[in-house]
Amino acid sequence: MPVFGLIDGNSFYCSCERAFKPSIQKKPVVVLSNNDGCSIARTAEAKALGVKMGEPYHVCKERPELSDVVWFSSNYVLYGDLSRRFYLSLAERLPKVEPYSIDEMFIDLSGFDDVAGLCALLRSEVMRVAKIPTCIGWGPTKTLAKLANAIAKKHTELNGLCDLTNEQTRKNWLDRLDIDEVWGLGKQNCAKLHKLGVRTIADFVALPPEHVQKLLSVVGKRLQLELKGQSCLSFADMETNKKSIATTKSFGRVVTQWKEMREVIATYATRAAEKLRAEGLQAGYLSVFIHTNRHSGDPYYSNQRGAVIEPTYDTAVLITESIRLLKPLWKNGYRYYKAGIILNDLSCLSNQSDLFSTYDKEKSGTLMQVLDDINARYGRGTLRPSSTALRPSWGARSAMRSPRYTTHLDEIVKARSW
Amino acid sequence: MAQKSGNDNYNGDKTTGFASPAQDYVENTIDLTDTLELRRPSRYLVRVTGDELDHRGIRHNDIIVADSARAPRAGGVVIACVSGEMLVCEIGQDKRGWYLRPSRALDMPVYLSEHIDASIWAVAVSLVREEL
Repeated sequence: MPVFGLIDGNSFYCSCERAFKPSIQKKPVVVLSNNDGCSIARTAEAKALGVKMGEPYHVCKERPELSDVVWFSSNYVLYGDLSRRFYLSLAERLPKVEPYSIDEMFIDLSGFDDVAGLCALLRSEVMRVAKIPTCIGWGPTKTLAKLANAIAKKHTELNGLCDLTNEQTRKNWLDRLDIDEVWGLGKQNCAKLHKLGVRTIADFVALPPEHVQKLLSVVGKRLQLELKGQSCLSFADMETNKKSIATTKSFGRVVTQWKEMREVIATYATRAAEKLRAEGLQAGYLSVFIHTNRHSGDPYYSNQRGAVIEPTYDTAVLITESIRLLKPLWKNGYRYYKAGIILNDLSCLSNQSDLFSTYDKEKSGTLMQVLDDINARYGRGTLRPSSTALRPSWGARSAMRSPRYTTHLDEIVKARSW
Repeated sequence: MAQKSGNDNYNGDKTTGFASPAQDYVENTIDLTDTLELRRPSRYLVRVTGDELDHRGIRHNDIIVADSARAPRAGGVVIACVSGEMLVCEIGQDKRGWYLRPSRALDMPVYLSEHIDASIWAVAVSLVREEL
Protein backbone atom coordinates (compact mmCIF):
# COMPACT_ATOMS: atom_id res chain seq x y z
CA MET A 1 0.00 0.00 0.00
CA PRO A 2 1.77 3.16 -1.13
CA VAL A 3 1.63 6.30 0.98
CA PHE A 4 2.13 9.62 -0.85
CA GLY A 5 2.83 12.82 1.03
CA LEU A 6 2.79 16.43 -0.07
CA ILE A 7 4.77 18.96 1.92
CA ASP A 8 4.59 22.66 1.06
CA GLY A 9 5.95 25.88 2.49
CA ASN A 10 3.46 28.22 4.17
CA SER A 11 3.42 31.49 2.18
CA PHE A 12 6.78 30.27 0.93
CA TYR A 13 8.18 33.54 -0.47
CA CYS A 14 7.20 35.45 2.68
CA SER A 15 8.74 32.74 4.86
CA CYS A 16 11.99 33.08 2.89
CA GLU A 17 11.99 36.80 3.68
CA ARG A 18 11.32 36.11 7.36
CA ALA A 19 14.10 33.53 7.59
CA PHE A 20 16.77 36.22 7.76
CA LYS A 21 14.79 39.00 9.40
CA PRO A 22 13.43 37.99 12.81
CA SER A 23 11.96 41.47 13.26
CA ILE A 24 9.17 40.66 10.76
CA GLN A 25 8.34 37.24 12.27
CA LYS A 26 4.90 38.39 13.43
CA LYS A 27 4.33 41.24 10.98
CA PRO A 28 2.10 41.08 7.89
CA VAL A 29 4.42 40.40 4.94
CA VAL A 30 3.62 40.58 1.21
CA VAL A 31 5.87 39.69 -1.73
CA LEU A 32 5.21 41.42 -5.06
CA SER A 33 5.45 40.06 -8.59
CA ASN A 34 8.23 40.99 -11.00
CA ASN A 35 8.31 44.73 -11.45
CA ASP A 36 6.63 45.30 -8.07
CA GLY A 37 3.31 44.90 -9.86
CA CYS A 38 0.96 43.00 -7.59
CA SER A 39 0.87 40.74 -4.55
CA ILE A 40 1.88 37.11 -5.17
CA ALA A 41 2.47 35.85 -1.62
CA ARG A 42 0.91 36.92 1.67
CA THR A 43 1.34 35.80 5.23
CA ALA A 44 -1.74 34.94 7.29
CA GLU A 45 -1.49 38.37 8.95
CA ALA A 46 -1.55 40.12 5.56
CA LYS A 47 -4.52 38.03 4.40
CA ALA A 48 -6.35 38.97 7.59
CA LEU A 49 -5.82 42.66 6.79
CA GLY A 50 -7.53 42.08 3.45
CA VAL A 51 -4.60 42.00 1.01
CA LYS A 52 -5.89 39.96 -1.95
CA MET A 53 -3.90 37.72 -4.25
CA GLY A 54 -2.90 39.66 -7.36
CA GLU A 55 -3.84 43.04 -5.89
CA PRO A 56 -1.86 45.90 -7.49
CA TYR A 57 0.78 47.39 -5.20
CA HIS A 58 0.14 51.00 -6.21
CA VAL A 59 -3.44 50.62 -4.94
CA CYS A 60 -2.50 48.76 -1.73
CA LYS A 61 0.18 51.18 -0.60
CA GLU A 62 -2.40 53.96 -0.36
CA ARG A 63 -4.70 52.01 1.96
CA PRO A 64 -4.26 53.28 5.56
CA GLU A 65 -5.18 49.92 7.15
CA LEU A 66 -2.17 48.39 5.35
CA SER A 67 0.38 50.82 6.72
CA ASP A 68 1.98 48.08 8.87
CA VAL A 69 2.51 45.68 5.96
CA VAL A 70 6.13 44.93 5.05
CA TRP A 71 6.42 44.78 1.24
CA PHE A 72 9.12 42.96 -0.70
CA SER A 73 10.07 42.81 -4.36
CA SER A 74 10.45 39.20 -5.45
CA ASN A 75 13.92 37.81 -4.77
CA TYR A 76 14.00 34.59 -6.78
CA VAL A 77 17.71 34.07 -6.21
CA LEU A 78 16.96 33.67 -2.50
CA TYR A 79 13.75 31.64 -2.96
CA GLY A 80 15.54 29.24 -5.30
CA ASP A 81 18.32 28.63 -2.79
CA LEU A 82 15.96 28.07 0.13
CA SER A 83 13.96 25.69 -2.07
CA ARG A 84 17.22 23.75 -2.59
CA ARG A 85 17.76 23.57 1.18
CA PHE A 86 14.12 22.54 1.69
CA TYR A 87 14.54 19.70 -0.82
CA LEU A 88 17.89 18.52 0.54
CA SER A 89 16.75 18.43 4.16
CA LEU A 90 13.98 16.03 3.03
CA ALA A 91 16.18 14.03 0.66
CA GLU A 92 18.59 13.29 3.53
CA ARG A 93 15.80 11.40 5.31
CA LEU A 94 13.54 9.94 2.65
CA PRO A 95 13.99 7.50 -0.22
CA LYS A 96 12.08 9.64 -2.73
CA VAL A 97 11.37 13.35 -2.98
CA GLU A 98 9.81 14.88 -6.09
CA PRO A 99 9.98 18.69 -6.26
CA TYR A 100 6.65 19.56 -7.81
CA SER A 101 7.14 23.32 -7.68
CA ILE A 102 9.48 25.75 -5.94
CA ASP A 103 7.57 25.34 -2.68
CA GLU A 104 5.92 21.91 -2.74
CA MET A 105 7.37 18.41 -2.86
CA PHE A 106 5.78 15.01 -3.13
CA ILE A 107 7.40 12.56 -0.72
CA ASP A 108 7.29 8.76 -0.57
CA LEU A 109 6.12 7.71 2.89
CA SER A 110 5.44 4.05 2.01
CA GLY A 111 6.62 1.45 4.50
CA PHE A 112 7.13 3.75 7.50
CA ASP A 113 5.53 2.56 10.75
CA ASP A 114 4.70 5.87 12.34
CA VAL A 115 3.95 8.22 9.44
CA ALA A 116 2.45 10.94 11.66
CA GLY A 117 5.54 10.93 13.88
CA LEU A 118 7.82 11.03 10.84
CA CYS A 119 5.92 13.93 9.29
CA ALA A 120 6.05 15.91 12.53
CA LEU A 121 9.82 15.34 12.52
CA LEU A 122 10.13 16.41 8.86
CA ARG A 123 8.24 19.63 9.58
CA SER A 124 10.52 20.56 12.46
CA GLU A 125 13.58 19.57 10.43
CA VAL A 126 12.66 21.78 7.45
CA MET A 127 11.91 24.58 9.90
CA ARG A 128 15.27 24.20 11.62
CA VAL A 129 17.46 23.65 8.54
CA ALA A 130 15.78 25.73 5.82
CA LYS A 131 13.84 28.12 8.11
CA ILE A 132 10.56 27.37 6.33
CA PRO A 133 7.29 26.51 8.17
CA THR A 134 5.38 23.79 6.30
CA CYS A 135 2.24 21.67 6.18
CA ILE A 136 2.14 17.98 5.23
CA GLY A 137 -0.79 15.99 3.94
CA TRP A 138 -0.66 12.31 3.10
CA GLY A 139 -2.79 9.51 1.74
CA PRO A 140 -2.84 6.49 -0.59
CA THR A 141 -2.67 8.60 -3.80
CA LYS A 142 -1.07 11.83 -4.99
CA THR A 143 -4.45 13.52 -5.41
CA LEU A 144 -5.44 12.65 -1.84
CA ALA A 145 -2.06 13.82 -0.54
CA LYS A 146 -2.63 17.17 -2.27
CA LEU A 147 -6.11 17.37 -0.78
CA ALA A 148 -4.84 16.44 2.69
CA ASN A 149 -2.23 19.18 2.39
CA ALA A 150 -4.93 21.75 1.55
CA ILE A 151 -6.91 20.62 4.61
CA ALA A 152 -3.84 20.90 6.86
CA LYS A 153 -3.25 24.42 5.59
CA LYS A 154 -6.80 25.57 6.15
CA HIS A 155 -7.37 23.97 9.56
CA THR A 156 -4.68 25.29 11.87
CA GLU A 157 -5.97 23.08 14.73
CA LEU A 158 -4.40 20.10 12.88
CA ASN A 159 -0.88 21.46 13.61
CA GLY A 160 0.16 21.32 9.99
CA LEU A 161 -0.53 17.61 9.54
CA CYS A 162 -3.45 15.82 7.84
CA ASP A 163 -3.79 12.08 7.30
CA LEU A 164 -6.25 10.77 4.70
CA THR A 165 -5.15 7.13 4.73
CA ASN A 166 -8.13 6.02 6.82
CA GLU A 167 -11.26 5.46 4.73
CA GLN A 168 -13.66 6.75 7.36
CA THR A 169 -11.70 9.96 7.96
CA ARG A 170 -11.56 10.41 4.22
CA LYS A 171 -15.32 10.03 3.85
CA ASN A 172 -15.93 12.68 6.52
CA TRP A 173 -13.77 15.19 4.69
CA LEU A 174 -15.01 14.39 1.17
CA ASP A 175 -18.60 14.98 2.31
CA ARG A 176 -17.68 18.48 3.47
CA LEU A 177 -15.34 19.65 0.70
CA ASP A 178 -16.34 21.33 -2.53
CA ILE A 179 -15.09 19.85 -5.82
CA ASP A 180 -13.03 22.94 -6.61
CA GLU A 181 -10.63 21.77 -3.87
CA VAL A 182 -9.56 18.88 -6.13
CA TRP A 183 -6.09 19.21 -7.65
CA GLY A 184 -6.13 19.25 -11.44
CA LEU A 185 -9.88 19.34 -11.99
CA GLY A 186 -9.90 22.86 -13.43
CA LYS A 187 -12.51 25.61 -13.46
CA GLN A 188 -14.33 24.44 -16.61
CA ASN A 189 -14.73 20.89 -15.37
CA CYS A 190 -16.00 22.16 -12.03
CA ALA A 191 -18.59 24.25 -13.88
CA LYS A 192 -19.68 21.19 -15.87
CA LEU A 193 -20.07 19.20 -12.65
CA HIS A 194 -21.90 22.02 -10.88
CA LYS A 195 -24.45 22.02 -13.71
CA LEU A 196 -25.15 18.38 -12.92
CA GLY A 197 -25.70 19.26 -9.28
CA VAL A 198 -22.38 17.77 -8.20
CA ARG A 199 -21.22 19.92 -5.26
CA THR A 200 -19.01 17.97 -2.90
CA ILE A 201 -16.10 15.67 -3.66
CA ALA A 202 -18.21 12.82 -2.28
CA ASP A 203 -20.83 13.58 -4.98
CA PHE A 204 -18.12 13.40 -7.62
CA VAL A 205 -16.74 10.11 -6.32
CA ALA A 206 -20.26 8.62 -6.35
CA LEU A 207 -20.80 9.30 -10.09
CA PRO A 208 -20.68 6.22 -12.38
CA PRO A 209 -17.12 5.98 -13.81
CA GLU A 210 -18.29 5.68 -17.44
CA HIS A 211 -20.33 8.83 -16.90
CA VAL A 212 -17.26 10.66 -15.62
CA GLN A 213 -15.17 9.48 -18.55
CA LYS A 214 -17.76 10.73 -21.04
CA LEU A 215 -17.99 14.08 -19.30
CA LEU A 216 -14.35 14.76 -18.35
CA SER A 217 -12.38 12.33 -20.53
CA VAL A 218 -9.79 9.93 -19.17
CA VAL A 219 -8.23 12.61 -16.96
CA GLY A 220 -11.45 12.95 -14.96
CA LYS A 221 -11.77 9.20 -14.66
CA ARG A 222 -8.23 8.97 -13.31
CA LEU A 223 -8.94 11.72 -10.78
CA GLN A 224 -12.02 9.86 -9.58
CA LEU A 225 -10.02 6.66 -9.08
CA GLU A 226 -7.33 8.59 -7.22
CA LEU A 227 -9.95 10.13 -4.91
CA LYS A 228 -11.31 6.64 -4.23
CA GLY A 229 -7.83 5.67 -3.06
CA GLN A 230 -6.56 3.85 -6.17
CA SER A 231 -3.18 5.28 -7.15
CA CYS A 232 -2.81 6.12 -10.87
CA LEU A 233 -0.13 8.83 -10.63
CA SER A 234 3.30 7.64 -9.58
CA PHE A 235 6.42 9.65 -8.79
CA ALA A 236 7.59 11.61 -11.80
CA ASP A 237 11.19 11.77 -12.87
CA MET A 238 12.79 15.17 -12.72
CA GLU A 239 14.01 14.61 -16.29
CA THR A 240 10.59 14.97 -17.82
CA ASN A 241 10.93 16.34 -21.31
CA LYS A 242 10.54 20.07 -21.38
CA LYS A 243 8.21 21.36 -24.04
CA SER A 244 9.49 24.89 -24.22
CA ILE A 245 11.87 27.39 -22.68
CA ALA A 246 10.77 30.97 -22.35
CA THR A 247 12.20 34.26 -21.20
CA THR A 248 9.40 36.79 -20.96
CA LYS A 249 9.36 39.80 -18.70
CA SER A 250 7.63 43.13 -18.46
CA PHE A 251 9.91 46.16 -18.31
CA GLY A 252 10.52 48.49 -15.41
CA ARG A 253 9.50 51.37 -17.66
CA VAL A 254 8.04 51.59 -21.14
CA VAL A 255 10.39 51.08 -24.08
CA THR A 256 9.89 53.39 -27.05
CA GLN A 257 13.18 53.20 -28.98
CA TRP A 258 14.08 50.49 -31.50
CA LYS A 259 17.68 50.45 -30.21
CA GLU A 260 16.44 49.59 -26.71
CA MET A 261 14.03 46.91 -27.89
CA ARG A 262 16.84 45.29 -29.87
CA GLU A 263 18.89 45.25 -26.67
CA VAL A 264 15.96 43.72 -24.74
CA ILE A 265 15.53 40.91 -27.26
CA ALA A 266 19.26 40.22 -27.45
CA THR A 267 19.39 40.03 -23.64
CA TYR A 268 16.37 37.70 -23.46
CA ALA A 269 17.80 35.51 -26.25
CA THR A 270 21.09 35.27 -24.33
CA ARG A 271 19.28 34.17 -21.18
CA ALA A 272 17.07 31.68 -23.06
CA ALA A 273 20.16 30.19 -24.71
CA GLU A 274 21.80 29.79 -21.29
CA LYS A 275 18.73 27.94 -20.00
CA LEU A 276 18.78 25.76 -23.11
CA ARG A 277 22.42 24.76 -22.63
CA ALA A 278 21.93 24.15 -18.91
CA GLU A 279 19.39 21.48 -19.90
CA GLY A 280 21.62 20.06 -22.62
CA LEU A 281 19.06 20.89 -25.30
CA GLN A 282 18.81 22.70 -28.59
CA ALA A 283 15.82 24.47 -30.10
CA GLY A 284 14.36 24.15 -33.59
CA TYR A 285 11.62 26.76 -33.33
CA LEU A 286 11.84 30.33 -32.08
CA SER A 287 9.15 32.91 -31.47
CA VAL A 288 9.31 36.53 -30.37
CA PHE A 289 6.50 38.72 -29.08
CA ILE A 290 6.15 42.35 -27.99
CA HIS A 291 3.18 44.24 -26.65
CA THR A 292 2.07 47.45 -24.97
CA ASN A 293 0.19 47.65 -21.67
CA ARG A 294 -3.47 46.78 -22.08
CA HIS A 295 -4.44 48.44 -18.79
CA SER A 296 -2.52 51.73 -18.85
CA GLY A 297 -4.63 53.60 -21.36
CA ASP A 298 -1.78 53.57 -23.92
CA PRO A 299 -2.78 52.64 -27.48
CA TYR A 300 -2.80 48.85 -27.57
CA TYR A 301 -0.54 46.93 -29.90
CA SER A 302 0.51 43.31 -29.63
CA ASN A 303 2.25 41.14 -32.16
CA GLN A 304 4.32 37.99 -32.41
CA ARG A 305 6.24 35.97 -34.95
CA GLY A 306 7.75 32.51 -35.00
CA ALA A 307 10.04 30.62 -37.34
CA VAL A 308 11.60 27.23 -37.80
CA ILE A 309 15.35 27.54 -37.26
CA GLU A 310 18.23 25.17 -37.68
CA PRO A 311 18.41 23.40 -34.30
CA THR A 312 20.86 25.33 -32.17
CA TYR A 313 21.88 26.29 -28.64
CA ASP A 314 24.23 29.03 -29.79
CA THR A 315 23.66 32.45 -28.23
CA ALA A 316 24.91 34.35 -31.28
CA VAL A 317 22.66 32.42 -33.67
CA LEU A 318 19.63 32.90 -31.42
CA ILE A 319 20.29 36.62 -31.08
CA THR A 320 20.56 37.05 -34.87
CA GLU A 321 17.39 35.03 -35.51
CA SER A 322 15.43 36.86 -32.77
CA ILE A 323 16.35 40.29 -34.10
CA ARG A 324 15.35 39.11 -37.60
CA LEU A 325 11.92 38.15 -36.25
CA LEU A 326 11.64 41.33 -34.18
CA LYS A 327 12.20 43.74 -37.09
CA PRO A 328 8.81 43.33 -38.80
CA LEU A 329 7.03 43.38 -35.40
CA TRP A 330 8.41 46.77 -34.45
CA LYS A 331 6.20 49.79 -34.98
CA ASN A 332 7.40 53.25 -34.02
CA GLY A 333 5.31 55.38 -31.71
CA TYR A 334 4.04 52.68 -29.35
CA ARG A 335 4.96 52.46 -25.66
CA TYR A 336 6.08 48.87 -25.25
CA TYR A 337 5.66 47.23 -21.88
CA LYS A 338 6.58 43.58 -22.30
CA ALA A 339 8.51 41.31 -24.62
CA GLY A 340 9.47 37.68 -24.70
CA ILE A 341 11.26 34.88 -26.44
CA ILE A 342 9.96 31.33 -26.57
CA LEU A 343 11.99 28.35 -27.73
CA ASN A 344 10.14 25.24 -28.91
CA ASP A 345 10.86 21.97 -30.71
CA LEU A 346 13.52 21.13 -28.12
CA SER A 347 15.75 18.13 -28.68
CA CYS A 348 18.75 16.55 -27.00
CA LEU A 349 22.12 17.31 -28.50
CA SER A 350 23.05 13.70 -29.05
CA ASN A 351 20.43 12.53 -31.51
CA GLN A 352 20.93 15.18 -34.17
CA SER A 353 22.52 14.81 -37.55
CA ASP A 354 24.98 17.54 -38.41
CA LEU A 355 24.79 16.65 -42.07
CA PHE A 356 23.20 19.85 -43.27
CA SER A 357 24.61 22.21 -40.72
CA THR A 358 25.34 25.68 -42.08
CA TYR A 359 27.77 26.62 -39.33
CA ASP A 360 30.61 24.93 -37.49
CA LYS A 361 28.89 23.13 -34.61
CA GLU A 362 32.10 22.10 -32.93
CA LYS A 363 33.44 25.63 -32.84
CA SER A 364 30.12 26.93 -31.59
CA GLY A 365 30.07 24.28 -28.86
CA THR A 366 33.55 25.15 -27.68
CA LEU A 367 32.79 28.86 -27.64
CA MET A 368 29.54 28.39 -25.70
CA GLN A 369 31.31 26.11 -23.21
CA VAL A 370 33.91 28.82 -22.54
CA LEU A 371 31.18 31.45 -22.21
CA ASP A 372 29.20 29.34 -19.71
CA ASP A 373 32.31 28.37 -17.73
CA ILE A 374 33.44 31.96 -17.31
CA ASN A 375 29.96 33.09 -16.31
CA ALA A 376 29.62 30.19 -13.86
CA ARG A 377 32.94 31.11 -12.32
CA TYR A 378 32.80 34.89 -12.22
CA GLY A 379 29.04 35.49 -12.11
CA ARG A 380 26.30 35.76 -14.68
CA GLY A 381 26.90 38.42 -17.30
CA THR A 382 30.70 38.56 -16.87
CA LEU A 383 31.10 37.69 -20.54
CA ARG A 384 28.21 38.69 -22.75
CA PRO A 385 27.38 39.58 -26.34
CA SER A 386 27.82 43.32 -26.93
CA SER A 387 24.24 43.60 -28.23
CA THR A 388 22.89 42.84 -24.74
CA ALA A 389 22.57 45.04 -21.68
CA LEU A 390 24.07 44.17 -18.32
CA ARG A 391 22.25 46.68 -16.11
CA PRO A 392 19.54 47.86 -18.41
CA SER A 393 17.52 50.96 -17.64
CA TRP A 394 14.47 49.05 -18.91
CA GLY A 395 15.06 46.27 -16.37
CA ALA A 396 12.33 45.27 -13.93
CA ARG A 397 11.74 47.52 -10.95
CA SER A 398 12.57 45.80 -7.71
CA ALA A 399 12.91 48.70 -5.34
CA MET A 400 12.19 46.58 -2.26
CA ARG A 401 14.27 43.50 -2.94
CA SER A 402 15.92 41.97 0.12
CA PRO A 403 19.59 40.95 0.04
CA ARG A 404 20.52 37.68 -1.71
CA TYR A 405 21.55 36.36 1.71
CA THR A 406 22.80 32.94 0.66
CA THR A 407 24.41 33.42 -2.74
CA HIS A 408 26.34 36.72 -2.60
CA LEU A 409 29.13 37.19 -0.09
CA ASP A 410 28.61 40.95 0.14
CA GLU A 411 24.92 40.41 0.93
CA ILE A 412 25.09 37.75 3.68
CA VAL A 413 23.07 38.23 6.83
CA LYS A 414 24.63 40.43 9.53
CA ALA A 415 24.65 39.60 13.22
CA ARG A 416 25.79 41.93 16.00
CA SER A 417 28.26 40.53 18.51
CA TRP A 418 26.82 40.76 21.99
CA MET B 1 31.84 21.64 -14.31
CA ALA B 2 35.09 22.51 -16.02
CA GLN B 3 36.66 25.51 -14.35
CA LYS B 4 39.25 26.25 -17.03
CA SER B 5 39.56 29.11 -19.40
CA GLY B 6 42.22 31.01 -21.27
CA ASN B 7 45.75 30.31 -20.12
CA ASP B 8 45.09 29.01 -16.63
CA ASN B 9 45.02 25.38 -17.67
CA TYR B 10 48.69 24.70 -16.94
CA ASN B 11 48.77 22.57 -13.82
CA GLY B 12 52.41 21.52 -13.79
CA ASP B 13 51.66 18.84 -16.39
CA LYS B 14 51.64 19.87 -20.07
CA THR B 15 55.07 21.26 -20.83
CA THR B 16 56.45 22.02 -24.30
CA GLY B 17 60.09 21.04 -23.82
CA PHE B 18 60.78 18.35 -21.25
CA ALA B 19 57.94 16.08 -20.19
CA SER B 20 56.80 16.95 -16.69
CA PRO B 21 57.40 14.16 -14.17
CA ALA B 22 54.37 15.53 -12.33
CA GLN B 23 51.88 14.96 -15.14
CA ASP B 24 50.38 11.82 -13.58
CA TYR B 25 50.27 13.44 -10.16
CA VAL B 26 48.23 16.57 -10.80
CA GLU B 27 45.46 17.26 -8.32
CA ASN B 28 42.84 19.96 -7.93
CA THR B 29 43.24 23.16 -5.98
CA ILE B 30 42.04 22.81 -2.40
CA ASP B 31 38.40 23.82 -2.28
CA LEU B 32 37.28 25.50 0.94
CA THR B 33 33.66 25.00 -0.10
CA ASP B 34 34.26 21.29 0.55
CA THR B 35 36.33 21.86 3.69
CA LEU B 36 33.71 24.11 5.27
CA GLU B 37 30.86 21.96 3.82
CA LEU B 38 29.10 25.02 2.46
CA ARG B 39 26.81 22.96 0.20
CA ARG B 40 25.02 21.38 3.13
CA PRO B 41 21.42 22.61 3.36
CA SER B 42 21.99 23.73 6.96
CA ARG B 43 25.09 25.88 6.32
CA TYR B 44 24.79 29.66 6.25
CA LEU B 45 27.39 32.42 6.16
CA VAL B 46 26.93 35.25 8.67
CA ARG B 47 28.80 38.56 8.78
CA VAL B 48 29.81 39.72 12.27
CA THR B 49 29.41 43.36 13.22
CA GLY B 50 31.07 44.83 16.31
CA ASP B 51 34.00 43.68 18.45
CA GLU B 52 32.19 42.40 21.57
CA LEU B 53 33.46 38.83 21.00
CA ASP B 54 37.08 39.87 20.57
CA HIS B 55 38.01 37.77 23.61
CA ARG B 56 36.92 34.70 21.58
CA GLY B 57 38.95 35.84 18.59
CA ILE B 58 35.83 36.90 16.69
CA ARG B 59 36.09 40.40 15.26
CA HIS B 60 34.09 42.96 13.34
CA ASN B 61 33.63 41.93 9.67
CA ASP B 62 34.55 38.27 10.23
CA ILE B 63 32.45 35.65 8.47
CA ILE B 64 30.99 32.89 10.61
CA VAL B 65 30.02 29.57 9.05
CA ALA B 66 26.86 28.68 10.94
CA ASP B 67 24.98 25.38 10.95
CA SER B 68 21.26 25.39 11.68
CA ALA B 69 21.05 21.61 12.17
CA ARG B 70 23.80 21.44 14.80
CA ALA B 71 22.84 21.14 18.49
CA PRO B 72 24.37 23.86 20.69
CA ARG B 73 27.14 23.09 23.18
CA ALA B 74 27.58 24.96 26.45
CA GLY B 75 30.44 27.41 26.00
CA GLY B 76 30.00 27.51 22.24
CA VAL B 77 29.05 30.43 20.01
CA VAL B 78 25.61 30.75 18.42
CA ILE B 79 23.67 33.02 16.10
CA ALA B 80 20.51 33.95 18.03
CA CYS B 81 17.39 35.97 17.31
CA VAL B 82 16.64 38.19 20.29
CA SER B 83 13.73 40.67 20.19
CA GLY B 84 13.82 40.70 16.40
CA GLU B 85 17.58 41.19 16.13
CA MET B 86 20.29 38.79 14.95
CA LEU B 87 23.09 38.44 17.51
CA VAL B 88 26.33 36.48 17.75
CA CYS B 89 27.03 35.41 21.32
CA GLU B 90 28.21 32.69 23.66
CA ILE B 91 25.77 30.13 24.98
CA GLY B 92 25.86 28.55 28.43
CA GLN B 93 23.85 26.08 30.47
CA ASP B 94 23.13 25.84 34.18
CA LYS B 95 20.39 24.35 36.38
CA ARG B 96 17.92 26.95 35.10
CA GLY B 97 18.56 25.90 31.49
CA TRP B 98 20.23 27.36 28.40
CA TYR B 99 21.15 31.03 28.41
CA LEU B 100 22.86 33.55 26.14
CA ARG B 101 25.91 34.93 27.91
CA PRO B 102 26.59 38.64 27.46
CA SER B 103 30.15 39.87 26.87
CA ARG B 104 29.69 43.05 28.83
CA ALA B 105 29.33 42.91 32.63
CA LEU B 106 26.39 45.31 32.66
CA ASP B 107 24.16 43.09 30.45
CA MET B 108 22.03 40.32 31.98
CA PRO B 109 22.12 36.77 30.61
CA VAL B 110 19.07 35.86 28.51
CA TYR B 111 17.50 32.51 29.47
CA LEU B 112 15.85 30.72 26.57
CA SER B 113 12.21 29.77 27.20
CA GLU B 114 8.83 29.65 25.49
CA HIS B 115 7.87 32.97 27.03
CA ILE B 116 10.56 35.26 25.69
CA ASP B 117 11.42 36.40 22.22
CA ALA B 118 14.79 34.65 21.94
CA SER B 119 15.79 31.57 19.96
CA ILE B 120 18.86 29.94 18.48
CA TRP B 121 19.05 30.44 14.70
CA ALA B 122 22.24 28.45 14.07
CA VAL B 123 25.41 27.25 15.77
CA ALA B 124 28.78 28.75 14.77
CA VAL B 125 31.13 26.04 13.41
CA SER B 126 33.94 27.86 11.59
CA LEU B 127 35.39 31.31 11.19
CA VAL B 128 36.65 33.02 8.03
CA ARG B 129 38.64 36.26 8.04
CA GLU B 130 39.34 37.60 4.55
CA GLU B 131 41.95 40.18 5.57
CA LEU B 132 44.31 39.55 8.46
